[in-house]
Amino acid sequence: MMMADQFRKAEQYSPKSSPRGARSPVVSRQDSTGTLKTTISLGKNPSIVHSGPFYLMKEPPDVKDLTGATNLMEHYRLEHSYNKFSGKKVKEQLSSFLPYLPGMIDTPGHQDNSSLRSVIEKPPIGGKELLPLTSVQLAGFRLHPGPLPEQYRCVNQTPQRKHKNKHKKHKHKAGETPSQETQVTEVGQDTHEKKHKKQKRHDEEKERKKRKKEKKRKKQKHSPEHSGGLTPSQHSSG
Amino acid sequence: MANSLENLETQLELFIENVRQIRIIVGDFQPQGQNVLNQKIQSLVHGLQEIDKLKSLPQEVHIPLEVFDYIDQGRNPQLYTKDCIEKALTKNEQVRGKIEAYKKFKTLLATQLNNVFPNELTKYRAIRGDERTVT
Repeated sequence: MMMADQFRKAEQYSPKSSPRGARSPVVSRQDSTGTLKTTISLGKNPSIVHSGPFYLMKEPPDVKDLTGATNLMEHYRLEHSYNKFSGKKVKEQLSSFLPYLPGMIDTPGHQDNSSLRSVIEKPPIGGKELLPLTSVQLAGFRLHPGPLPEQYRCVNQTPQRKHKNKHKKHKHKAGETPSQETQVTEVGQDTHEKKHKKQKRHDEEKERKKRKKEKKRKKQKHSPEHSGGLTPSQHSSG
Repeated sequence: MANSLENLETQLELFIENVRQIRIIVGDFQPQGQNVLNQKIQSLVHGLQEIDKLKSLPQEVHIPLEVFDYIDQGRNPQLYTKDCIEKALTKNEQVRGKIEAYKKFKTLLATQLNNVFPNELTKYRAIRGDERTVT
């Protein structure tokens, strides 16, 4: 009620008090013609709004296709990533993302000048044709036999991993710098163990068959000596 | 596109594997390993040729530069995705809060205006094409 009174009072105010002088819509004038007032706005999107008694009334903004009202995760097909990462712990190290990459990759790139930023900032010289090396060029790669000096060996060390890699190709990566010899011996041991196991199984089967045969023979004999208890070997097989 | 990217990935993996094998050969070099080393060096060149052929393929792949920062710091790039999702969640909650607040404000304002200026509000609704009554 108070507000209504204030509004009625405003009607009696002088038009001079309005920022638009005599044209102020605050001063209500009876619409004798019976037509509504219109606001014509020019510019980028010219529009005519039948504003009636309302001052500064504008067209509501256009409804855009893509707003926050739509599920943007679904729209951009990011639901999988959302479900994968939201609220779940992701391992911090780069090596957990690229587990099969040899070498120490968790150290900052600028330390060993291997950062991707440096590739963008200083792109490598390219454009030259890549050709296989000639025998003369290959002679430059003739090496002296023997192990590498200690100082260079530690650079190539890979970090110790808690879990063994299932990938056969990278089996030897976990641990210290592998050498050709150790690889060969490892493989040799593996095959030897397998063979040994196979032979063991084969022997066991033979024994089992022998026992069965003996059992059959004993049954056929039906002798009172053998009709009693079972022998320890029969116990184990039965 | 996906196949060609996979092909590039395979080539890169092969190249890395070649380098790793060379490192093993060189690590404790045996005189009889020279031929193998030479072959490996040639296969490196071949690998580079293959990668060079495929270099134009990932031009349509857009990667945010920030991901490189994560990698350069030795961090898992998936953390970038995670951080982005967390940011989006926070922002979404903020925007949702704003929308709710504006809705409440609109309802309150319309109710109050209806109490004070019932005729004007009816006209306003007629212009807007909204004939709903304010509760």
